[in-house]
Amino acid sequence: MTALLPVLGSPAKISPDYVRISYASAVALAMKSGRFSREFDFGGINLLLNYDEGCLSDCGYCGLARTRQADYGDQFIRVEWPLVRTGELVDRMAEHEDKLTRLCISMVTHGHAYADTCDITKRIAARVKTPLSILVAPPTLNRHRLETFKAIGVDMIGIGLDAVTEQLFRSIRTDVPAGGLKWEKYWEVVTDSREIFGPWKVNVHTLVGLGETDQDLIEIFTRLRDQQIFSYLFCFNPEPDSRMASHPKSPLMRWRRIQLAKHLIETEGYQAGQFDFDADGSLVHLRASRSAVDAVVSQGVAFMTNGCPGEQGEPGCTRPYGSYRPSEPFRDYPFPPAATDLDQIKAQLRLDEVLG
Amino acid sequence: MTDDALREVSGFAIALDRAYAPATHMWVRPTGDLHVTIGMDPLGVETSGTLAQLSLPEPGQVLIAGQPFGQLEAVKFVGPLTSPVSGTVRAVNAAAAADPGLVEREPFTAGWLIKAILSDPADLGKLLTDPQAITDWYAARIADYRLSGAIAR
Repeated sequence: MTALLPVLGSPAKISPDYVRISYASAVALAMKSGRFSREFDFGGINLLLNYDEGCLSDCGYCGLARTRQADYGDQFIRVEWPLVRTGELVDRMAEHEDKLTRLCISMVTHGHAYADTCDITKRIAARVKTPLSILVAPPTLNRHRLETFKAIGVDMIGIGLDAVTEQLFRSIRTDVPAGGLKWEKYWEVVTDSREIFGPWKVNVHTLVGLGETDQDLIEIFTRLRDQQIFSYLFCFNPEPDSRMASHPKSPLMRWRRIQLAKHLIETEGYQAGQFDFDADGSLVHLRASRSAVDAVVSQGVAFMTNGCPGEQGEPGCTRPYGSYRPSEPFRDYPFPPAATDLDQIKAQLRLDEVLG
Repeated sequence: MTDDALREVSGFAIALDRAYAPATHMWVRPTGDLHVTIGMDPLGVETSGTLAQLSLPEPGQVLIAGQPFGQLEAVKFVGPLTSPVSGTVRAVNAAAAADPGLVEREPFTAGWLIKAILSDPADLGKLLTDPQAITDWYAARIADYRLSGAIAR
């Protein structure tokens, strides 16, 4: 009689041996076919840890939320994030290194995330010199672990605070079905990262459109700027079947004004007192000269994607069509806006209403 | 389409029983009288990236050669569907509009886009119809796309 051996399932395709990459990254590395609607140099490669259990957090707006309904396969933030072998990915990075500008590993909340991020970072750093960032999962970290990231070659740290007030954070990320993320922990990681990585080597993601006011955003922009920490703007884009699937996106006018305000604060040294708000916290007046603001708008930089820079300070992580569809108006531009783009931006800003 | 009409050029299928508009990757297959079926070739589909949405016209819409009759949206790309001929839309492939993946899977058959009646049969003469010319053009475009990185390896 022949003994029956147990039938084993296929090995799980999980980190550190597998990662997901953004579709744009897959195109840049010729791992997926495709192109962008407008031609531009693209070299910002985004990796995402992958586990069968997914992310153990349960944020109301997120495509990876633990209690989100339905199986989306390779889909995350509306589009495909191909699952690839880490070894093959690193080979492709080395092959295309001359056009890469920035690499980023996004952690998720998972028990193996820290160890796997270290493993993947070492594999990349051994082959590729392109600066590497980590978008960290604060619940998995402490100061020692951040120091280890620095020691193994990580250049910048990003913290996805997303909800910019404690009340909002609690309602969307803490007091949720399977949540438990702590506002204090996020800020502890911000502070530790700033101390370990230095000025302008840490960024905090601020998501526009979760229910915060303009005043909330401008207060956090100035708070972070004063600590030499970048604010990276992201535009809320409702994720199907998330708990915030029916929450509306910010109107373009508001988004443009927030982009401009963030740039004025971070790059031009504007103070919170130069922005006036109504009783609801909406921006109603900007205390600045029209000519100075027009000059900033015309540069276009304020409206480009916020992301970690390349080695020479050039745009590094540009996430094309990251928070809007290709058929929708640009929210952030992955390249310097052209003259026709600037005409649209100026019309969207309606600056006459807040200047003078 | 018969199997005899199908060729493979550098890894991509091409059907030689129809005419092509090289700049836009649209094909036109005459089906009798002035009737034609219009679709997109596999190279145009592949290099757009994973398709997300097709916007197609209503029957009765007038087509003008060289002008958009719809829109293709992929994950990171949006572009017009450009009519290779002038005429009038007779039918629209509702199955492809509902599932753009059909155009990726069966671009020469079930993934057609529209059926139309030509207003000027001479339009067909302006398209690529010679099998050798079609395969030469296709091979050159594939090489260009490989060089630019639009085709995965």
